[in-house]
Amino acid sequence: MSAADAQLEALFRQEAGRISAWLVRLLGPKRLDLIEDAVQDAFAAALAQWAYCGTPERPAAWLAVAARNKALDRLRREARLDSVDTQDETAAWRLGFSNPEDTGKPDDTLALMFVACHPALSLDEQTMLTLQTVCGFTPREIARSFLSTPEAVTQRLVRAKRRIRGLDLAFEIPEGAELAGRLPGLLSAIYLLFNGGYTAAEGEPLMSEELCAEGLRLATLLTGHPATATGEAHALAALMCFHHARAAARTGPAGDLILLAEQDRSRWDAALIARGFGHLRAAMRAHELSALHLEAGIASVHAGARSFAETDWQQLARYYETLLRLKPTPVVRLNAAIVTAYAVDAATGLAGLDALEGEKKLEHYAPYHAARGELLTKLGREAEAAAALERALECPVNGAEREYLTNKLRSSAAERLMRAASH
Amino acid sequence: MSSFMLLLHRPVDRPRVSTDPAVYTQVSREYMAWADRMRAEGHLKGGNKLTDDSGRIVRTAGERVSTTDGPYPESKELVGGFFLISARDYAEACHLAESCPHLKYYGNIEVRQVEEL
Repeated sequence: MSAADAQLEALFRQEAGRISAWLVRLLGPKRLDLIEDAVQDAFAAALAQWAYCGTPERPAAWLAVAARNKALDRLRREARLDSVDTQDETAAWRLGFSNPEDTGKPDDTLALMFVACHPALSLDEQTMLTLQTVCGFTPREIARSFLSTPEAVTQRLVRAKRRIRGLDLAFEIPEGAELAGRLPGLLSAIYLLFNGGYTAAEGEPLMSEELCAEGLRLATLLTGHPATATGEAHALAALMCFHHARAAARTGPAGDLILLAEQDRSRWDAALIARGFGHLRAAMRAHELSALHLEAGIASVHAGARSFAETDWQQLARYYETLLRLKPTPVVRLNAAIVTAYAVDAATGLAGLDALEGEKKLEHYAPYHAARGELLTKLGREAEAAAALERALECPVNGAEREYLTNKLRSSAAERLMRAASH
Repeated sequence: MSSFMLLLHRPVDRPRVSTDPAVYTQVSREYMAWADRMRAEGHLKGGNKLTDDSGRIVRTAGERVSTTDGPYPESKELVGGFFLISARDYAEACHLAESCPHLKYYGNIEVRQVEEL
């Protein structure tokens, strides 16, 4: 893809959410389907037109006007087919329609996020719908991050939008108790979106990079609005900043995986880490303590350590102790056990891991078996280490992870051979 | 500097280079890149795509004016769009037209000089 192509794609993506939000404000969430189609029509029209006149001076405004006109076309066509009269609405929204400069108001984007992340939808559907309406991803791109097919994603999106239509939602940022009740769900959906990018199981690195950037953009948007700038929202933004700051250092030149311990910390994004600490301070000011606060705190310990050896393992252990009380999931228990291996010793860490034996969720979770392999190697139990690494390789892993584990396995086998030879 | 009209002809029976949206997108971007480059170099003065139908022909038959669907019956080509460019002479205008992706995908480009006072 050339730079110009990437630029055009970025423009479409960026504008899709803003224009959709603007049109949903004018037409209501019931018309989400029609609006998505109108935005797609506008992009197709842009391609056809711009082929002959080049990129217009203000492409964003051009797209907004085109989408508005395409939406009007579709409404007129619908009105003709439908005996239900849309004439009444017409006067009201034509006023708003006259000003495409209104696109891109953060309030509209936030309101759209609340529509897309409605609790009547499953968490997966919320994330998919957010990706489509707020972030402008196509079903094909969404399918890649959900390990699904474009057809299946389209189906789910259609069903999700049908359900939204049935709910007769207002287009607004909820208030009071409703807001408090819905914000955690919204944060979870954004977190899932970010994670989809962070641990992309396959596909191009560019895609995962974009997912992370979108997740961070949405979280930042939440922290920028007085209604949604809760401590938890700041904690989520902080967490994403810390994780995303390491993106460049996570992979080597050949796309190979580089673990935290071996990362070149000078390649971490210092500006993003500083932003993370800013959000973390804001999160701590609010008088609440959520699992997200602790996860952000944990990420901040890593982000603040000059080297792996200088990591404050005692502080990490304390964070995990509290997190275990709020969120005693198998994965949190796994990570807590790994931290114990550094904060106390390898044997204690291994005991923690072995206590998780038989947990259904970890049975096919590569990091669990990889961590066991690592600690067993440290304790000189090579045969068991090799068995654990082999089990990790049987779990679903992406290419970079597979390579990493295979190398580990090879080096532990080599070490075993060398030891056998020296005896 | 003179003005030249580049009329982009395509076969009547081939409204699109491909029905695959990815290919269509790619081709459109090549056109766009060309138009953007022409503008950056100070050549492009305008341009538009024409709709994908075959248009209408209005003519007189004796006293009557009649309108029929285009194109002319003997024609196997349609104009799908046009560019208006500025160039020193036909030689430069044709040279510029040679780099237009239209030649690669659809067909001919008719180059016509705009008569100026």
